[in-house]
Amino acid sequence: MKRGLLFIALLFASLVAQATEEAYEFDTLQQRLLFQTLTAELRCPMCQNQNIADSDAMISHDMRRKVYTLIKQGKNEEEIIGYMKSRYGDFIHYKPPVTPVTMWLWLAPILFSIIALLVVFLRRRTTPPEDMAAKLAKAEAMLEQDK
Amino acid sequence: MKRWIVFGVPLLAFVILVGFLFSGLFSDPRALDSQVKGKPVPDFSLPDLMNPAQTYTPDVFKGKVTLLNVWGVWCVTCAVELPYLTQLVEQEQVNIVGLYFDQDLDPDFGTKTIERVQQEVVEITSQFGNPYQFHIFDVFRDTSLDLGVTGAPEHFLIDSNGVIRMHHIGDINERVWRNKVGPLYHQLHQELAGQPQ
Repeated sequence: MKRGLLFIALLFASLVAQATEEAYEFDTLQQRLLFQTLTAELRCPMCQNQNIADSDAMISHDMRRKVYTLIKQGKNEEEIIGYMKSRYGDFIHYKPPVTPVTMWLWLAPILFSIIALLVVFLRRRTTPPEDMAAKLAKAEAMLEQDK
Repeated sequence: MKRWIVFGVPLLAFVILVGFLFSGLFSDPRALDSQVKGKPVPDFSLPDLMNPAQTYTPDVFKGKVTLLNVWGVWCVTCAVELPYLTQLVEQEQVNIVGLYFDQDLDPDFGTKTIERVQQEVVEITSQFGNPYQFHIFDVFRDTSLDLGVTGAPEHFLIDSNGVIRMHHIGDINERVWRNKVGPLYHQLHQELAGQPQ
């Protein structure tokens, strides 16, 4: 009985050790929140679409450790993102910067809406009013005939 | 005229869209622009893997053209390219230096000893070939991070001034060497020969 209990206790002990393998400790709540934000926003360069908080790739482990170290050194969010971008490029951050190339991501939907509205508006305008008058006259004439 | 606009403009837009999507079929989403190309090797001070008493700095690249190979014994593709790299050393006297980093040697929770790593490296290189002049041991994988390494194998062509001229992600085989890495390697050698001593 006692041995069984000890065995179970040891089983749980090892589980706890597993879970705390990457438990980073922070001095303040702000630092912890910053760590959570950054690891969610930074993208694993090895994987195609995973943030480093989610990924188990070695590079993500290393980047998390680096983010932790930089936070501990008192670096702010922009500095840490800049640090990663200077090594891995814009790819590393899920929020793309606005450049002449990426600008179209925001501009294209707006331009498309404007063009669509213009087309609808201009098409309406081009129906000539005298045409309507002619049609009415024609309809009147037909009604007259039916009488 | 108006008919032309009504049919022509959507057709043109469609053709552009198809062209854009078609080119996307052949683009490699894993291809990243290297941030270190054209820059000097980032500063480091790391031990030799086989003889940790010896320390290297970026000065080790001065004066010759180097192919820096980022690798580890745990990486299967690295082992696959070892015979070809060895052949390059024999045939073209390519100066290959290893930047070794280990997966299991976790800096925070590591249990693997350096002797064990050395033993594994000797085992692999005696089996598949040893193209390396020496191995720089990236203990905490910091230098790999500074170089923008995403995994292994990766290669850096470094000129005689210690400036990174190419970052190649993936293995080097005959095709890659002939079309991509080799030509620049020989060009760098010519640049070195043209420099006043």
